[in-house]
Amino acid sequence: MSSLIQMIGVKKVYQLGETEVHALRGVDLELKKGKFACILGPSGSGKSTLMHIIGCLDVPSSGTYYLEDKSVGEMNDDELADIRKDLVGFVFQDFYLLPDVPAWYNVSLPMIYNRVSPKERKKRAIELLGRVGLGDRIYHYSNQLSGGERQRIAIARALANKPEILLADEPTGNLDSKRGEEIMEIFQQLHEEGKTVIVVSHEHYVAEYGEIRIHIEDGLIGCEG
Amino acid sequence: MDRGFLTESLRSAIESIKTNKLRSLLTTLGIIIGVTTVIAVVSAISGLKQQVAESFSSLGANVLYVQKFPWVVGGKNIEWWNIKKRRDIGLKEVQALKEFGSSFEYVAPQISRAFDVEMGEKKARNVTIQGTSEDFPVIMNQGVNLGRFLNHDDIKYRRDHCVLGKDVANTLFPDENPIGKTVRIKGRLFTVVGLLEEKGDIMGQSLDNVAVIPYTTIMSKFTGRKESITITLLAEDEEEARQEIRWILRRVRGVKPEEEDDFSINSSGALAKEFNQLTRTMFIIMVGIAAISLVVGGIGIMNIMLVSVTERTREIGIRKAIGAKSKEILIQFLLESIMICFLGGFIGIFLGFSLTKLLSIVGNIPFAMPFWSILLGFGFSVAVGIFFGFYPARKASSLNPVEALRYE
Repeated sequence: MSSLIQMIGVKKVYQLGETEVHALRGVDLELKKGKFACILGPSGSGKSTLMHIIGCLDVPSSGTYYLEDKSVGEMNDDELADIRKDLVGFVFQDFYLLPDVPAWYNVSLPMIYNRVSPKERKKRAIELLGRVGLGDRIYHYSNQLSGGERQRIAIARALANKPEILLADEPTGNLDSKRGEEIMEIFQQLHEEGKTVIVVSHEHYVAEYGEIRIHIEDGLIGCEG
Repeated sequence: MDRGFLTESLRSAIESIKTNKLRSLLTTLGIIIGVTTVIAVVSAISGLKQQVAESFSSLGANVLYVQKFPWVVGGKNIEWWNIKKRRDIGLKEVQALKEFGSSFEYVAPQISRAFDVEMGEKKARNVTIQGTSEDFPVIMNQGVNLGRFLNHDDIKYRRDHCVLGKDVANTLFPDENPIGKTVRIKGRLFTVVGLLEEKGDIMGQSLDNVAVIPYTTIMSKFTGRKESITITLLAEDEEEARQEIRWILRRVRGVKPEEEDDFSINSSGALAKEFNQLTRTMFIIMVGIAAISLVVGGIGIMNIMLVSVTERTREIGIRKAIGAKSKEILIQFLLESIMICFLGGFIGIFLGFSLTKLLSIVGNIPFAMPFWSILLGFGFSVAVGIFFGFYPARKASSLNPVEALRYE
């Protein structure tokens, strides 16, 4: 079986005013389907950039990246959007929920872009909220919910279009360790159901969950293990 | 784009307008004013046109009115100070036109007054007493219902005969045949010889409140000869008749070759031309006002949409992160600006409608809001929404997802 994710010499350079920021300096990475990987590193190490590139939210400045054997570098914006829609589900540190809509609508949002009928959208959103333990929070707005609950909504949203890969960027960063562990338990469960899970974090207890730990520092992969 | 997605975007646009009610309303003010102007002016012009068309028909087609003054003063170098010293038009001119004219068959002088007409205790007030000749029915297309019209002898011998309009007859003779009866006008007795056919009314004024008597009678008994009269003629070819009338009148009035005409030949056709000129000018002014307010309104829309895009940068980032294509973001924001403009158009049409209705009641103008003006109003507002909404929507759709997500 070939790798789900394969990166060779991936570099990312940002232009920040006059200065060039080298976020990634040549990353080689391989990950098979169904794995649970943790990308660990201090802040500014380039781990978020790496995750954005894995999830096709961003593209490499140079190097090659194959996702399901397709070269991401050759894709146009619409094809990248399709990957984010169908193949990947994102979970962010700051949850990134829409504030003015109920929980179920936030969860249903990705399905709009997948042309799921409104009825089906709501049904599936409620189902997903039940799965992450928020069956009684369907009509709550995000400002009425705790951080842990918001993050679970975000996870439900990430699962809406049944993605192959779940990408979480510091999912526990805004939570206390108890809530953080609850979130990680959900990821663990999803991994056991066959999803490929990649969690980026700088917290050590998070690393306990991964099968694979990838350390990143100064835009380079350190050791895998 | 499928319907499901459009519906969803529309829903989201309406939701966003609802959250910012006041802002959306203020934003769309320019559109409201623009559309209101278009609707009100188009309706006013149509109403006026309809009314004027009615008046024109009562003036008669191919009827020329030779008068001292033109109907419209101001156009074509005819200024009031140039024409106020014109000499009166009198029976001498009537005689000359009858004698020398060949391009028109019928000539009737017209001179009128407003008097009460009495019959015993009954009184018809403020009746138009029209002094004219036997050619009047042909020229003015006026039929006679009962009895007869004035004849040559009535005119020649200045008889005290009259033909009554329907209103006068109804007032004075509600349930008897008026032919042969006697009515009193200014203390003078007139014998009723006929009844005029009904003409209806224009601008709320009845055309049937009239009594026709010989012009010879009205001049000798009521008005005297020192008053300029109107000469009406029925022309087959208006232009030809005009030339001939000018030629005859210049001669009989002794106008020197280098001098301008010291009389006017009016007609409904010429008036229609003047009127069309006027409405065209009004129309151009309206288009100008509407265009300006729509552009101003459009800039307002663009401004507020740019603000909205900035405010919702993170939302755009989220939508892109979960798989929205640039095109889909573009449509979402474009629909929002279109909806704001549509709302403005809707309010504008409503206000324009109310304004026109009010005008028609206050100004006694027929109410005429053409359907195409509504389409025009909506069309304009949607076009503004698309035109001025495109740039902000484009800006939203081209945001980099990572940067949009990081936006604070």
